[in-house]
Amino acid sequence: MKLLGAENSPEVQQLLIEQFSATATTIGGPPEIAVDRHVELAKILRDEHQYRIFGFVVAVHYPTRVKEATEAGEVIRVSYGLRSVGKGTRLASWQLCVPVGQSVPTLVYLFAGADWQEREQYDLVGVRFDGHPDLRRLMLSEDWQGHPLRKDYAIDTKVHPWR
Amino acid sequence: MEMTSSVARGRRRANPYLDLESYDPEADLMVLNLGPQHPSTHGVFRLKLYLDGEIIVKVVPFVGYLHRGVEKLCEKLTMVQLVPIFDKNDYVSPMMNEQSLVMAFEALLGVEVPRRARYLRTVLAELQRIASHLLWLGAFAMDLGGALGGGATLFMYCFRERELILDVFEELTGCRFHYNTHIIGGNRHDVPAGWAAKVHSALNVIEPRLSEYESFLIVNDIYIERTRGVGIVDGALAMELGITGPVLRAGGVDHDLRRDAPYHCYDEIDVRVATAEAGDCEARASVRIAEMRESIRLVRALIDGIPEGPLGARKPIKTPLAEKATEGHSYAAVESPRGELGVYVVGGGDNRGASPYRLKIRSPSLHVLGCLPYILPGHSVSDAVAVLGSVDPIMGEVDR
Amino acid sequence: MNPWLRGLLYALLITNVFLTITAWSIWFERKFSGRMQSRLGPTFYGPWGLLQPVVDGIKLIQKESLIPASADKLLFVVAPPLTVVLALGTAAVIPFSSDIIAADLDIGVLYLLALGSLTIIPVWMSGWSSNNKYAMLGAMRAVAQGVSYEIPLVLASLVPVVLAGSMSLSDIVRFQIKNGWFAFWPPGPGFFAFLFFLPASLAEANRIPFDIPEAESELIAGVSTEYTGMGFGLLYLAEYLHTLVISAVASVLFFGGWDGPFAPGLHWMVLKTLGLFAGIFWVRWSLVRFRSDQLMSICWRYLVPGGLILVMSAGLWVHFTRGGG
Repeated sequence: MKLLGAENSPEVQQLLIEQFSATATTIGGPPEIAVDRHVELAKILRDEHQYRIFGFVVAVHYPTRVKEATEAGEVIRVSYGLRSVGKGTRLASWQLCVPVGQSVPTLVYLFAGADWQEREQYDLVGVRFDGHPDLRRLMLSEDWQGHPLRKDYAIDTKVHPWR
Repeated sequence: MEMTSSVARGRRRANPYLDLESYDPEADLMVLNLGPQHPSTHGVFRLKLYLDGEIIVKVVPFVGYLHRGVEKLCEKLTMVQLVPIFDKNDYVSPMMNEQSLVMAFEALLGVEVPRRARYLRTVLAELQRIASHLLWLGAFAMDLGGALGGGATLFMYCFRERELILDVFEELTGCRFHYNTHIIGGNRHDVPAGWAAKVHSALNVIEPRLSEYESFLIVNDIYIERTRGVGIVDGALAMELGITGPVLRAGGVDHDLRRDAPYHCYDEIDVRVATAEAGDCEARASVRIAEMRESIRLVRALIDGIPEGPLGARKPIKTPLAEKATEGHSYAAVESPRGELGVYVVGGGDNRGASPYRLKIRSPSLHVLGCLPYILPGHSVSDAVAVLGSVDPIMGEVDR
Repeated sequence: MNPWLRGLLYALLITNVFLTITAWSIWFERKFSGRMQSRLGPTFYGPWGLLQPVVDGIKLIQKESLIPASADKLLFVVAPPLTVVLALGTAAVIPFSSDIIAADLDIGVLYLLALGSLTIIPVWMSGWSSNNKYAMLGAMRAVAQGVSYEIPLVLASLVPVVLAGSMSLSDIVRFQIKNGWFAFWPPGPGFFAFLFFLPASLAEANRIPFDIPEAESELIAGVSTEYTGMGFGLLYLAEYLHTLVISAVASVLFFGGWDGPFAPGLHWMVLKTLGLFAGIFWVRWSLVRFRSDQLMSICWRYLVPGGLILVMSAGLWVHFTRGGG
């Protein structure tokens, strides 16, 4: 369970495995943990391990037809990354797997930067974030239908008035 | 003459979700849209300001006017084809975009980059940093002083200097601006004869002129009045928002990917990182100018010692389907002039793995723009423009 | 000569000369600023681009003059010509040489200051009648700035009046011819009065560093946002005209008008006016602008008390050197 190029440090890896029962995924990427525990993980990383710089949120859509899909069917995998400050900076990353339609608890109350990042992933992939104060589209216009970065959204979908 | 202003300095962290009814039932709030078409918003970007007189009460930024669906495009094009597309994200410092992209692909594919290429990438990154900061300086002066005034003068001078660096890049890659010079495993264009001498002559012109610009703008009392104490982003807010780069360093946090997580050849040289304490516009400007000087010093130290060897782990690739990655996630980040520019790649997409399954660009400017609702309330409209100029957002990478 | 005929001839003469100089001052500014910025400026129309103002004028005249539907039509249309008229009106009392003066008023300085303060009104009219938030912000800033900087302007202009003992501009020049230019003698009040006069009049004319009402990087084009065609042309022209008039008034009040080390006459007046004019452009292309509250604080905290002290010191000088008056 690795994020190539930005692996977790051994302490974080140990924390993930021991305290959060992180597992490797069949498709690679950072360790996967349970969805409802990730806010707790972020808090521990921020306060005790000095991962104070908000890194990224990436949501990836896996429809059932893709060979990497799990038995759960159509899922969205959300990867988070936090960066530590100063010398020897490392990235701490983890992955969540939610069935489409289920939502992920938001990190906004720990990291203000999660606000726009989560809005963007909602806008483009369609994963909802529980507890987000203002979850609306960021990049696309308010009345856009569909979530473009899903695999069932064709790249040349007609959208009036742009096509 | 110490001139102080009577405008209330905003609290360092305003409430971005302020409920306007509860703000003041008597106040007659005016809504002013700064943008999307506006001479000073650094690209198409809408800032909805709620004004009480001239003081900003609430800020709601709207981005996405330049959204071109680059991430979706990445799933269609193959890894080999993506490099020129990426030039157009942070269109002011294209070398950084290319470097972060190819580094992410190299991590995904497990490709080792030869030393000559890594060394050349370091030199190109530092030259690009100088060029990007010169553009920032000109645009910042224009924001402060207007396109018809002292700002325009400094703008012209900075662009004249920037042309020297772009000439150097043209000598190397054939393109003044969007280079397509990085490939997976190395660089495409090799250093021509006499290139190092050209770089030296360009830097010898730029360095004394930087001192001239400092005496023109930075020590000017009017400039100091406009930028001191304006738009304070303290280190804690910056870290929470994910802001990196000069804005974070101006808030007092000593964090620079070049020194702390060295990539390319940064572990062979000593990068002196500039920080400031105040976190206001003046601090950000001084950090960027110090970075320019530091980059000049680094390039001078590096340019004569480019090692011999192959320029790429593989020969330049002619077919789009040549590189395939069927699984794995990777992330690579560079220190761009705006902060940590990262690319997160999920392998195993179309074309039997030649395209990424998902590619996310972690752009520093998007995080930086997130600070506006927190720091602008309490300032006036002129300050909003000065702050926007000093945080240097590039809408190409905000919206992708 | 019939005073009506004389007045008409002078009006035509001054209007034409000033407007011509103003039109070519646009060429001069573009060339001057271009050379300062290591670029060429206009070169295409005519030798050295000298026909550029003609071409610009033709372009502006043939453009469609749009009046926004929700604008106050009368004020919108009247404001630009009114600005030009007021700026030209101040030129009526300026003595260009000992015989060339359109109206040798006894209260010349008072007339100048009165018209100068009236120029705020068309600026405000254009901003308010546009019914546009940016123009409105610009107009409010212009009124605040103009009204505040009236006071240092009046105080600075009072110093030559007190020193010369008369409000008539030609009397002030004659006094300077006998006793030395006010900018240099008496050492002190005159020089500082000039130093106060210049920023105050730049603020009246909305020039950088005081051009917050038309700050392009913040307010698109400030009060002239909604203007197109010749309306915009007139507002633009009025700004240069106002600057030219300020240079002329400053050279009369502080630099001796038509006086010179040899052969006094019109040419010295022209030289001084154009020299100050170029200096104002130089300042424009070198400095960034103030924020409105900083502008106000400079005016009320530094220029107004300083101006009062200056006027008092001028009065004391007159009292002690001429024994009352």
